[in-house]
Amino acid sequence: MSATDTRIRLPRIGRMSNELVLASIILVLVIVMCAVNPAFFSVHTLFSILRSALVPMVFALAVLFVIISGGIDVSFAAIGIFAAYTTVSLAQGGGLDFGLIGILAFAIVIGGALGFVNGIVIARFRLPTLIVTLATQGIFKGVLLAYIGSKYIAELPDGISWLSTANLISIESTRAYLPMLIVPVVLLVIGAAFVLRRTMFGRGIYAMGGDLEGARRAGFPVVRLQVMLYVLVGAVAAIGGLIHVVLGRSANPQDLVGTELDVIAAVVLGGASIFGGRGTVTGTVLGVLLVQIINNSLILMGVPTAWQRAAVGFLLVIGVGIQAVMARRASRRTFVLDTVKE
Amino acid sequence: MPQTTPPGQFARMNDQVDRSVRSLLGRIHVNRGVGRMLVLFALAFGLFAILNPRVFLNPINLQNMMVASPEVGILAIAMALAMLTGGIDLSLVAIANLSAITVSTMFTAIASSDPATAESMGGLIALVGVLVGALAGAVNGFLIATVGITPILATLATMQIFNGIAIVWTGGTTLYGAPAVLSSVGQATVGGVPLLFLEFLVVAVLIGVLITRTPFGRRTQLQGANPTAAMYSGIRSTSVLYGTYVTTGVLGGIAGLVFLSRNPTASADYGTSYVLLVIVIAVLGGTNPTGGFATITGVVLATLVLQVVQSGFTAIRLSAYEYAIAQGVILIAVMVFDQVRVRRRPRPAPSSQTETIALAEIPRA
Repeated sequence: MSATDTRIRLPRIGRMSNELVLASIILVLVIVMCAVNPAFFSVHTLFSILRSALVPMVFALAVLFVIISGGIDVSFAAIGIFAAYTTVSLAQGGGLDFGLIGILAFAIVIGGALGFVNGIVIARFRLPTLIVTLATQGIFKGVLLAYIGSKYIAELPDGISWLSTANLISIESTRAYLPMLIVPVVLLVIGAAFVLRRTMFGRGIYAMGGDLEGARRAGFPVVRLQVMLYVLVGAVAAIGGLIHVVLGRSANPQDLVGTELDVIAAVVLGGASIFGGRGTVTGTVLGVLLVQIINNSLILMGVPTAWQRAAVGFLLVIGVGIQAVMARRASRRTFVLDTVKE
Repeated sequence: MPQTTPPGQFARMNDQVDRSVRSLLGRIHVNRGVGRMLVLFALAFGLFAILNPRVFLNPINLQNMMVASPEVGILAIAMALAMLTGGIDLSLVAIANLSAITVSTMFTAIASSDPATAESMGGLIALVGVLVGALAGAVNGFLIATVGITPILATLATMQIFNGIAIVWTGGTTLYGAPAVLSSVGQATVGGVPLLFLEFLVVAVLIGVLITRTPFGRRTQLQGANPTAAMYSGIRSTSVLYGTYVTTGVLGGIAGLVFLSRNPTASADYGTSYVLLVIVIAVLGGTNPTGGFATITGVVLATLVLQVVQSGFTAIRLSAYEYAIAQGVILIAVMVFDQVRVRRRPRPAPSSQTETIALAEIPRA
């Protein structure tokens, strides 16, 4: 009896503590880093990690929503840079400086519209999300570079340029600066957690990811939810693109596209199931931070930056591998229990 | 439209040819992918031949197209093979680059002490490149079959790892130097047809035979169509998956050699845009991304269609960006067309489509 109990409990512990595992990995990593290189333990390091995590964090939230719904989106980076670049070039070249709110709203509308294209094609024709977003990624990037502009814009419109250098906290003595842009990112994180946990829309996304047909029979308007989801993802991606442009103090239409898989890797590390139905904002935040900490600590440890990609790859193999082995063991156990019952 | 005018007649004839071709293809069970790709190929080729015959039909342009298509084509065949088992292989391009880098490094290392030996060992060195591909494929197989990681995640991770190793190895620079054997293969032609293109066709035929005519191919199809049924039929999914990913790794290694044949340089970030392009080609060629169905003929034709569109766009002076748009539009159009047609036709009991229905989203309300 007690043996059966542990059999059932083991995998559940593994599943429940996913965020805890991530948090402890981060903690261990930080302690090791501090022991190896005392320079690591500083506000400067903390702020630079946070700064580098801003854009991936926003994109990761967008990806998290799609992955929970059971899909994969590889077009978000193209949408982000499309919306940001178009807005900046209109505000700059067209002389239409709408101010911060105007520029943000404009970018969000563009991102939402592009997301709408994704959503309609996916929901209306029931096509695999990976393939559709692969196609739209090419289309968005192509339209941006062929018809809107391929030139690097070195100067941002006044409405947002002040944000590039605005800091929430600046400690002059250690030259540690925390950019103001962390505020909208934190708000987005909180907002995403709220939507996923407390709204019908959020629960619907989980339901769709768990079982699409089941969600439909439970009364969720699946087609509408899916379209809404991709519009939302487009809008969030646009904000991510804008933050990237502001932080980099320039708009380069060739940026971002090509980093999709890195973001997806961070989200999966954060415990989101690629099959849908599972994933949390906390896990995603930790996943993104873990990747950034690793990148940052490798530099401080004197490991060439070239190893970063491989390190993230190894981490992904270990993280997902443990999950897979646990899931396999769990399924084997239930299988054994069933036969015992009979 | 009046039927007596030439265009009407032409359309009717075209229709008829189209229909008979399709029924012929339908009879040998390959109509999906192959038929529509044949039509698309003819359309694209005809369009550009009319728009700018002087440039497009120039023998040099035709030859260039045949030299350019093999590297993408071989990778697309590998991708179709992975998709056949219901998986995907995102690490293909990284494997190809790793193989190219291995060959280039080995050659340069041996040539620095003794150039003559290096040249004479060219074939052997190339074999090592393929071996590297097989090894990388075995790593994928281990993660997917033994550990049980979903293919998309396993190969996403190994893509980062292989690519990372390549970056560390080369220090981010471009390596120069490759055995003369490879370069001469890259430049040789047989009766006006580049040897590389023939190599591509040979690979395609071999993999085609492997899929359709061997027990291993049967097993991969069953594994992709319904893993549970395959398990109960006594198919050992582990060995099928190992076989599949080692084969895709070998194909990746061969693609690496093709990279070197075209251009004796190797770098870690060559062809990064191929990762997604190769998926596009495989799906266009009629491969079911959820597994159970693939035709190599379709994939070869899809490769050629995209190559024709790319060269054609250059011939009528459209940019690479417009080509990217065309790629996306073609992919969505073909998928939507497929979906609409499938929905209109009353379906007999779904055979290999069970997975597709589960994954292909909502039935219409």
